[in-house]
Amino acid sequence: MNLEGVRKQIDRIDLEVLALLNRRMELALTSRKFKNEVLDEEREKAVLQAAAAYANGQITPEFSRSLLSIVMAESRKLQEAGRPLLGFQGEHGANSEAAALRFQSGMASIPMESFAEVFDGVEAGVLDYGIVPVENSLGGMVSQVNKLMATRNVHVVGEVLLPVHHFLLALPETDYRDIRVVVSHPQALAQCRGFLTRHKLEGRPFYDTAGAAEMLFRERPGGTAVIAGESCAKLYHLEVIKEKVEDHPDNVTRFLVLSGNAAAKPGDKCSIVFSTAHKAGALFGILEAFAKEGINLTRIESVPMGSRPGNYVFFLDFLGNDRDNAVQKVLKDVREKTSRFRFLGCYKRGAVL
Amino acid sequence: MNHLKLAGRMDGSRTVIRVGELRIGQDLTIIAGPCSVESEEQTLTIARAVKRAGAGLLRGGAFKPRTSPYSFQGLGLEGLKILAKARTETGLPVITEVLDTRDVGWVSEYVDILQVGARNMQNFSLLKEIGKVGKPVMLKRGMFATYAEWLNCAEYILDAGNPDVILCERGIRTFEPWTRNTLDLSAVPAMKELSHLPVFVDPTHGTGRVELIQPMAMAAVAVGADGLMVEVHHDPEHAMSDGPQALLPEQFDSLMADVNRLKDALNGTIHENDVHAGKEIALEGSEKGRVREYAW
Repeated sequence: MNLEGVRKQIDRIDLEVLALLNRRMELALTSRKFKNEVLDEEREKAVLQAAAAYANGQITPEFSRSLLSIVMAESRKLQEAGRPLLGFQGEHGANSEAAALRFQSGMASIPMESFAEVFDGVEAGVLDYGIVPVENSLGGMVSQVNKLMATRNVHVVGEVLLPVHHFLLALPETDYRDIRVVVSHPQALAQCRGFLTRHKLEGRPFYDTAGAAEMLFRERPGGTAVIAGESCAKLYHLEVIKEKVEDHPDNVTRFLVLSGNAAAKPGDKCSIVFSTAHKAGALFGILEAFAKEGINLTRIESVPMGSRPGNYVFFLDFLGNDRDNAVQKVLKDVREKTSRFRFLGCYKRGAVL
Repeated sequence: MNHLKLAGRMDGSRTVIRVGELRIGQDLTIIAGPCSVESEEQTLTIARAVKRAGAGLLRGGAFKPRTSPYSFQGLGLEGLKILAKARTETGLPVITEVLDTRDVGWVSEYVDILQVGARNMQNFSLLKEIGKVGKPVMLKRGMFATYAEWLNCAEYILDAGNPDVILCERGIRTFEPWTRNTLDLSAVPAMKELSHLPVFVDPTHGTGRVELIQPMAMAAVAVGADGLMVEVHHDPEHAMSDGPQALLPEQFDSLMADVNRLKDALNGTIHENDVHAGKEIALEGSEKGRVREYAW
């Protein structure tokens, strides 16, 4: 034990305390959605009482109370500022969060464990927005998200095309020569297969790229690196061993932004989802309607719905505004020809920056 | 020299290595840069200067083989990142020395050409490891190595599967202490006779004296070297290694101007020469034969 070692531990604890406080602020912002007013005196009193009661060791009741008073004052300030809440799946630093920042700055991004939770939050109105990946240029469609999109009552209000780059990150104390194991999302590992093979590294799957970075920071296993987005280096105090370790430089993930309400601004692209009767030419008739009006389709995807084998829904994206006459005409036609139909939204087309 | 199946192959074709726009072994290629990568600012300053002067490749040591363990050992991984940055900014491909077999794979992720230093010329495990990498290698001549020993080391790399070896004469140790080493310029025509590999000359280490670098660089070009490697530093007094033998950017400018004049003169006057014409015919053959390109 020496001063340097002790200080290193202190620094790490400070980082963890700050990360926990950030989580607390996010929850405080979420709680605002359930309250009529920012200040809830009863609740604050209860929190301070509990803080004093649980104080132990070197933490006196007075210190505990004053610390939480400061924390709650900050929470109130954030609640009053009222930034829109945006939910994304994964931990901070995930690609979804990077995509959200491109959609609109100044939002409070809230990490969620699953895609379903993001949809839940948007449907319930707890989240102002949600962001989910629908497809990746290398990996194809994200089936979980598409299934939720088909069944949940949400509007698509935006699109973000995010170029994805993978970074090899390790703890500052890890010598890159000692790295043997690389932890990341299976998709990311697959996209860096060539790099991993070249360096005889073992890929280990994890639920999320940023989650892997967070795990590395918290558990500090030796000889281990992660593959994650660039922002994770700063967020989790990791060192970039090598940037852009992906095998293919062109890798884009397409995200859709969800909301409980339709987009306020006029868009230039629309998404629909529908099912057709099992009869000859049913799907053709629908595509034909778009062709006749000269509307350009940008994506068509069939998603098995699991309820019964052979049961599919179709996702269709096309260019145009839902207030255009041609678009309205086609949509009316399509509505009549389908067994199930939902207009997901009209939104501004995303561009790869 | 009977066992040089690969390095000694003499079927009339010479090895030409393409790195980006460069055709090493065909066009005179000048490598310049600091002895060590010391900081981003230092490396970028020097990289811009040598690029302006017309260098084709940037050098810079991230791992330094120092005589004393207490001397600056190089920035390691950080140095590689700085080199990559300089490469992006200036467009110059980079070359750096690799000392440790464990670093071979990592270094080749960052640079365009790997260098085996004089002290590691006969580090056979390093040579074998480097032979597995898909990047060209510059093999410096050991300070006590004979031509046969040097070529045998090239043979190790070629035999392990890497066909793109560049030889570099950097001076040998003799009884003369006034110069750091004795630059053996006979090595250039000798290697051209014994092998098909490109031959470079490093007048910086070869002489260790700033005032000798320019004349010996000219001499190297005159005897047919395929390229030069020169150390340049904008602030030699504060360099963390080998400052006293580094050229200032303006000295390098003047060296480049002289070398270019000499090159033009040689092209003009010796163009009709049989040796040179023979080389060109051989090159045409090798262009059709084995020329490897390195995307970067």
